[in-house]
Amino acid sequence: MWRRAGTAPAEVPRGLCRCVILSLLSSALWATPAEAQRPLTVQGARSLTFGSLLAGVNKTVLRTDVVNGGQLDISGPGRASVLLTFTLPASMTGPAGATLPLSFGSNDGGWSPPQQIGTQTAFDPRVPYTAPLDQNGKVSVYLGGTAKPTANQKAGSYSGTITLTVVVLP
Amino acid sequence: MKRLTQSLAAVLFVVGLTSSAAAQSNSGSITATAQVQQPINVNGAVNLSFGNVFPGVNKAVLLTDAGAGRFDVTGQASTPVNLAYTALPTNLANGGNNLPVSFTSGYNTSNSAAGATSFAPGSGASTSLSGTGALFVFLGGTVTPAVNQAAGTYTGTVTLQVTY
Repeated sequence: MWRRAGTAPAEVPRGLCRCVILSLLSSALWATPAEAQRPLTVQGARSLTFGSLLAGVNKTVLRTDVVNGGQLDISGPGRASVLLTFTLPASMTGPAGATLPLSFGSNDGGWSPPQQIGTQTAFDPRVPYTAPLDQNGKVSVYLGGTAKPTANQKAGSYSGTITLTVVVLP
Repeated sequence: MKRLTQSLAAVLFVVGLTSSAAAQSNSGSITATAQVQQPINVNGAVNLSFGNVFPGVNKAVLLTDAGAGRFDVTGQASTPVNLAYTALPTNLANGGNNLPVSFTSGYNTSNSAAGATSFAPGSGASTSLSGTGALFVFLGGTVTPAVNQAAGTYTGTVTLQVTY
């Protein structure tokens, strides 16, 4: 068989070929980590409670308030980044359709490893924010705010809904 | 070689399929709540009137007497409140003349001094408004005119503060 000088034979050993294929197949089957399949859940853990208010007197609840501050717990893929988007109401609704103004500031949002309210990182809940899930796919999100009853605020009970939308980022 | 290439292509296709994941999205909600209370209103409904007094003769007005004073309080039903007299004179005055006075007080959720709970005006009291948000605070007292007390009309102002 004549060979040109400097060239290598084009044939690959059959045994080596099979080993490579098996290795690649193994990698493909086990490359998908189990936590990528973990479903994303967002659970409301604690309401934002302003309690008793007087007409014309503002009241603020801090995101670090373990009794009255709002909290939601997220569970999803381990070590994933998630985009947090709050839908914040401008007011609460009360008797006969009366509305009680609410406001949220740039420091009223926070996140932490699960249930560690004292070590949370602050963020502005009025704009989307990226937070990390821990190795177990967990994070807690906290919310404070200010209720601003008017001077002639109608007496009675008021409530509003706060929604957190979470998207797992690629 | 061709078979190897085909095999590798199939494997890569499988790898591609298992690596992709659909974007996940979900949402959860909490509520914001508050209770706005009725404002407190304190109305000086009846003045404390000692009527005619005579020099050197003390005169007392009991809570149950017709001359007793009364404050009418309204606010949030069944809510605890604190009562404090912020102005409690030691004398009634007539120009430069003073008539010493001391006071007694009591409260009741109904407009009846007979069932009122007594308290020292200088110490204040804590109680709750009625189920309809009402409270009545009664005021009595004693004046002690001197034997040479100048004649005239003596007055003073008593102020009651009620807070949640």
